[in-house]
Amino acid sequence: MTTNNVDVGRRRFLIGATSAVGAVGAAGIAVPFVASWSPSEKAKSAGASVKFNFSKMEFGALAVVEWRREPIYVVRRTKESLDLLEKIPAEKLKDATSANTDQQPEYAHNTHRSKNPEFLVIKAVCTHLGCAPKYRPEVGAEGLGKDWTGGFFCACHGSRFDMAGRVMAGSPAGANLAVPPYKFDGNAIIIGEDEGAA
Amino acid sequence: MNWLLGLLGWVDKRIPIISTWEKHLSKYYAPKNFNAWYFFGSLAMLVLVNQLLTGVWLTMFYEPTEEGAFASVEYIMRDVQLGWVIRYMHSTGASAFFAVVYLHMLRGMMYGSYQKPRELLWLIGMVIYVVLMAEAFMGYVLPWGQMSLWGAKVIISLFGTIPIIGGDLQTWIQGDFVIAGATLTRFFSLHVIAMPLVLIMLVFVHIVALHEVGSNNPDGIEIKKNKDENGIPKDGIPFHPYYSVHDIVGICYFLFIFIAIIFFAPEMGGYFLEAPNFEHANFLKTPDHIAPVWYFTPFYSMLRAVPDPFWGFVVMGAGIVVLFFLPWLDRSGVKSIRYKGMISKVALIAFIVSFLILGVLGTWAPSEGRALLAVTATIVYFMYFLAMPFWTSFEKTKPVPERVVMKGIGTVKFLGLVVLILVLTALPLKAVAAGGAVHLDHMQVNLDDKASLQSGAQIFTNYCMGCHSTKYARYQRVADDLGIPRDLYEEHLVFDGSKIGSLMEIAMTEENAKAWFGVAPPDLTLVARVRSPDWLYTYMRSFYRDDTRPFGVNNKTFPNVGMPHMLVDLQGLQECGPGAGAGKTLDTLSGDVMLDDPCGSLEVKTKGSMSTEEYDKAVFDLVNFLAYMGEPIQDDRKRIGIYALLLLLLFSVFAYLLNREYWKGIH
Repeated sequence: MTTNNVDVGRRRFLIGATSAVGAVGAAGIAVPFVASWSPSEKAKSAGASVKFNFSKMEFGALAVVEWRREPIYVVRRTKESLDLLEKIPAEKLKDATSANTDQQPEYAHNTHRSKNPEFLVIKAVCTHLGCAPKYRPEVGAEGLGKDWTGGFFCACHGSRFDMAGRVMAGSPAGANLAVPPYKFDGNAIIIGEDEGAA
Repeated sequence: MNWLLGLLGWVDKRIPIISTWEKHLSKYYAPKNFNAWYFFGSLAMLVLVNQLLTGVWLTMFYEPTEEGAFASVEYIMRDVQLGWVIRYMHSTGASAFFAVVYLHMLRGMMYGSYQKPRELLWLIGMVIYVVLMAEAFMGYVLPWGQMSLWGAKVIISLFGTIPIIGGDLQTWIQGDFVIAGATLTRFFSLHVIAMPLVLIMLVFVHIVALHEVGSNNPDGIEIKKNKDENGIPKDGIPFHPYYSVHDIVGICYFLFIFIAIIFFAPEMGGYFLEAPNFEHANFLKTPDHIAPVWYFTPFYSMLRAVPDPFWGFVVMGAGIVVLFFLPWLDRSGVKSIRYKGMISKVALIAFIVSFLILGVLGTWAPSEGRALLAVTATIVYFMYFLAMPFWTSFEKTKPVPERVVMKGIGTVKFLGLVVLILVLTALPLKAVAAGGAVHLDHMQVNLDDKASLQSGAQIFTNYCMGCHSTKYARYQRVADDLGIPRDLYEEHLVFDGSKIGSLMEIAMTEENAKAWFGVAPPDLTLVARVRSPDWLYTYMRSFYRDDTRPFGVNNKTFPNVGMPHMLVDLQGLQECGPGAGAGKTLDTLSGDVMLDDPCGSLEVKTKGSMSTEEYDKAVFDLVNFLAYMGEPIQDDRKRIGIYALLLLLLFSVFAYLLNREYWKGIH
């Protein structure tokens, strides 16, 4: 065995080149292992948009639609409750103007937080710790005080939201109820899909 | 850097990192005359890692239940993103494991690596081999296809042949009176937890034992007998870096073959993934040919060579057990075949040939001539071991040199030997080979032809989906792959109001189907992989009028099929034309009618809406579509394979140069 005549530079280059190409190869091998953890076609199919027909909904009624294993509330709001929304003073709300843009798509960035004022479409997932808030539309509902203007009350930890899903000041929850992407198609609301998506 | 060294020192005082590294790699002196046969040990390690990694991932998606197993495998193949790569890596890895291990064992037999002081090393290796066989067998049951079920049935029935306790033992292993969900779940647990744990521990012990006694080499010389003043063997060389860079080259050779199979021939012509296993386990129907996967076939042949169930089992077991005794059967004073006598060399060739012949026979159906050949080969196999103590005692051996020799027999002589072995294997097999395969009309599947696939999808939906589901595929995927907009597909090709993302199931339940048709029309998702496109293409064009059949038609390719001719309006009705028919072609072993040709030619007597050419094209489209359904990713597979091979080629160039750089001064 001879240790003379070792071309250190050449060895170093070859080790570097072999390792570099080897690293690319290892990254290539990792691709299927990483990709396989993404939602499968089955999960995507289960997560696809759902169609909800609202033609039989009465004013003031609530419908629960399942989308991606979460309850989505669709409320057909009355003229009165929409008027009440405008009258709630901003200081009684944590985010009256829906400044937190993560909580709704652009088309629901308004006082009534919806595309069409008549229909409220929100995720019934409390932004505090994830319970489903109860729908309490009556003004001054029993147990919620005279000031209650109708909305959603989370029985888990007492968070309060108005008829647009805006969180009331003093609630444990920090953000307004989230509005999922949706669009209208005749007499139906398609939840999970909007004009932006294909 | 300094703090890193400090950290290393701190850790090393608590765990012996540096001394372990030195003992097993940088100061482990391996003989410097290793040849290519010495790649297989590290390749076995590589494949083991591959199996563990892909296995862990498959377990995330697989469902070990009688109801869900088969569908979950197809879920991996279709719905999990790139899941098919992981599954093919695992299925190809299983075969690669055995290929590598068999060559590793042959290396040991050639160079006497089982002789003193390496008896335990050999025994541990043999235990690894047996555990590996159990691991592979149980793994093959998991997809719950036809071969899974019937293969398991045959193997488990072997335990039932043991006198007195056999029946109870078999029931206990199955956990039921038949092979059932209980069997599947216990095999799953053993396959993914118990066996791999045992394998890893055994491999660890195997390596510890190897590094204790030191590696053997092609000359069978103990390099530890010749040490220099520093106590380093004169013929030794540190494993790292010399053999680490060397093994990378071996890994490159291996990966070329491995990657090529994964991406271009994952079924390997039915030897790695058997066609009947693409059909769901069916307790009422045995596949025509039950052949185990190729790595079990030599022992399977021994089993069949003995005309008694229990003694067949014993002989098969003995074929494996006898290998354990090798260290004590070889009485020769020299280790390597290089210095043994002519008898040893001829005997080793005879052994390899007998093993190969048994292997090929095991994949074939038995016949009288083959049975005789199997018996002969079994006798040769056992004679190799049983006669070894005699010839090795008196055989005249050549003198073994003091120091290792760097040159072997040379490439030409080696290739000559390979050819000799192959010829000796092929000749007797040729004598018992059977001809008489059924002629099928050929069609070239073309998945680039989107128009053809679309038309095929249309025909399938309109004429076939009334009775046949393709329940492992999703509408959405088909629409996207075929270039049909989803809303159009939903409107025109989904009849039962299913969502576009759903599986392509049908309304007819299996119970109803059985009541109406006698047998449930099979699911057709994988029919092209079970039957082959050529078969389907021929089948759909060989219906003819036969008033004795319930539907008024019969089929040449599938005699007495219980299916009406759905496309009769398109093709018209064929009837016997002039000429004499070839009659029935029987399957040699099962006696099933593979082809029944009652007439010399078929003529369309009652015209359909299509001309013959138009009908052939329609059937082509339909079968093309079914070929797509069988494996939707086949085009992606080949494309990715080319990139993988190109990257490997680049890597190999550097690895080759690196190895040459390290070894250039060493002789």
